[in-house]
Amino acid sequence: MAMNLHEKRVERQLLWILLPSLVLLVAFVIYPALYSIWLSLTNEALTGAAAANPRFVGLKNYSRLLADGKFWNSLLVTFFFVIGSAVIGQFVLGLVSAMALKRSIRFKRIFSSIILLPNAAPEVVAGFMWISMLAGGEHATLSRIVMFFGITPADWLQVFPLAMIIIVNTWRGIATAMILLTAGLSTIPNEIYEAARMDGATPSQMFRRITVPLMMPTILLYMLISAISTIAVFGLVYALTRGGPGGATEVISIYLYNQSFTAYQLGYGAAVAVVVLLISLVIGLVYVRSMKVEV
Amino acid sequence: MAALSPSEAANAGRANLMAYATLSIISIFCIIPFFWVLLASLDGNAKLFLAWPENWTIANYARVFTKEDGGKWLFNSLFMVGGATLLVMVLAGLGGYALSRTNAWWKLPFLYGILLIRVLPQTALVVPLYKLMLTLNNAEGNLLRPIFGEYTRAIMRWTGFIDGYLGMILLLATMQLPLALWIMKTFFDGLPRDYEEAALMDGATLIQRIRRVLIPLALPGLAAAGLFAFMSAWGDFLLPLTFLSSPELQTLPLGLFRAFLRVNEIDYGLLAALAFIYLLPAVIAFGFARRFLVQTFSGGVKG
Repeated sequence: MAMNLHEKRVERQLLWILLPSLVLLVAFVIYPALYSIWLSLTNEALTGAAAANPRFVGLKNYSRLLADGKFWNSLLVTFFFVIGSAVIGQFVLGLVSAMALKRSIRFKRIFSSIILLPNAAPEVVAGFMWISMLAGGEHATLSRIVMFFGITPADWLQVFPLAMIIIVNTWRGIATAMILLTAGLSTIPNEIYEAARMDGATPSQMFRRITVPLMMPTILLYMLISAISTIAVFGLVYALTRGGPGGATEVISIYLYNQSFTAYQLGYGAAVAVVVLLISLVIGLVYVRSMKVEV
Repeated sequence: MAALSPSEAANAGRANLMAYATLSIISIFCIIPFFWVLLASLDGNAKLFLAWPENWTIANYARVFTKEDGGKWLFNSLFMVGGATLLVMVLAGLGGYALSRTNAWWKLPFLYGILLIRVLPQTALVVPLYKLMLTLNNAEGNLLRPIFGEYTRAIMRWTGFIDGYLGMILLLATMQLPLALWIMKTFFDGLPRDYEEAALMDGATLIQRIRRVLIPLALPGLAAAGLFAFMSAWGDFLLPLTFLSSPELQTLPLGLFRAFLRVNEIDYGLLAALAFIYLLPAVIAFGFARRFLVQTFSGGVKG
């Protein structure tokens, strides 16, 4: 049946009230994302001759990028950062917390509130709190803790910088993993465990044969979401190390920021941005495909 | 629950003990850094490391407002983030309603579009955004200068795109819009259409329908969308770092960051007090947002 006049009017009104959101998203997200492709083909800069008169330079920024050891270093650092904090750290601790909280124990609310707390801390505050944990050699809180166990302390941010930002980001994201995985765990019916117990299954068997397979969709969704959000982490690492020492913690977002706003090379920075956008989009497409949008 | 045999009960007891132990260790890991902020902010001679204060004082908090411009930073943060949150609530309320009720061809592409937009990292957008904002800002300046002359800077402090309240509010709001639209769309999907249809039958206009029917019904959804927008914009560091430079527009995260960069004369007590002031609204908002967390982390989709 063709739309009648009244329905047409309602549809038009709906489009009008969506329009302001659409305008903002196009102006400040879609357009910049596309504009970065053009920028990456120019020698645009913040200062100097190129700032006044940018030229089209073709793929020069990209060939420079591929030859830049610091770019590859930042990709590698980002890779370890994502694997270490999102895929391993947050996931393992989040899963352990979710499974422990599923048991009938007391103080559940207190435990889960405390685990949620790091997630509430703004990035810069989180960075400073961890400087107090890690900096200051023997006086650092972490040093005093390990000395209690008889381990020799170190200047943590200088000696193990990458491991430290992985620990800090793990700390910050346990809650996300815990919440998603708790939701996943709650969809597994208790009867399955009961039946397995009747058949004499051990807890580790039940974990491997029931929990993990049934949780797979949730785990995959979590991996995608956390990989995307970990690639985007900026303020936390910037406040902690600003990419140092010697590029050891220069994740891709910090490399991108430094190239653009410290070295003032917007064109080159845009080329890095395009690479980051492509990586995120690839993961994002898998994520969107795995979501069933309800219309 | 069925009766457990003695060995099963012992097993369950051991497992519970394990659960307490792991949860305690993880909780200690999570909470220790917060102790430093709290204790150092109340310590008369605070150091960088965790220590029990010997002379308790609130002088650190007083210094945030007297020695530093803490009051101004707090105002700027509240004004920019609050403005952005309000804007997000209005736009996402309207847009989410449209997305929920429309049957037009653009519905599905738009929904997939905002899911994809959520994936793009801000850092990758900041470079082209900076060029765009610079262009807009210069255009506005050129337009206003012939009219207002020397007052132009004072006006553009409010309406500028770089180093202006308006630009910051628009950017902060835009970054929170995709999630808010998603929350509101999902929320309106769950609201029966009867009320609106009744209002429509009575000949109510769109504005009347929004005011009398939708706003009252949508309040819980708007609260969730607003809370998440507030928390995320409040914690944002990259946008103010890139788009604000003048001291009178400095926000809390920038003030905190820059206070820490003055290497030779770091006042840790003041820093901790500032961090605590900045931390508190985030924690309060998080407490309120807790019950919405599950839906939101999984993208607002039941699954």
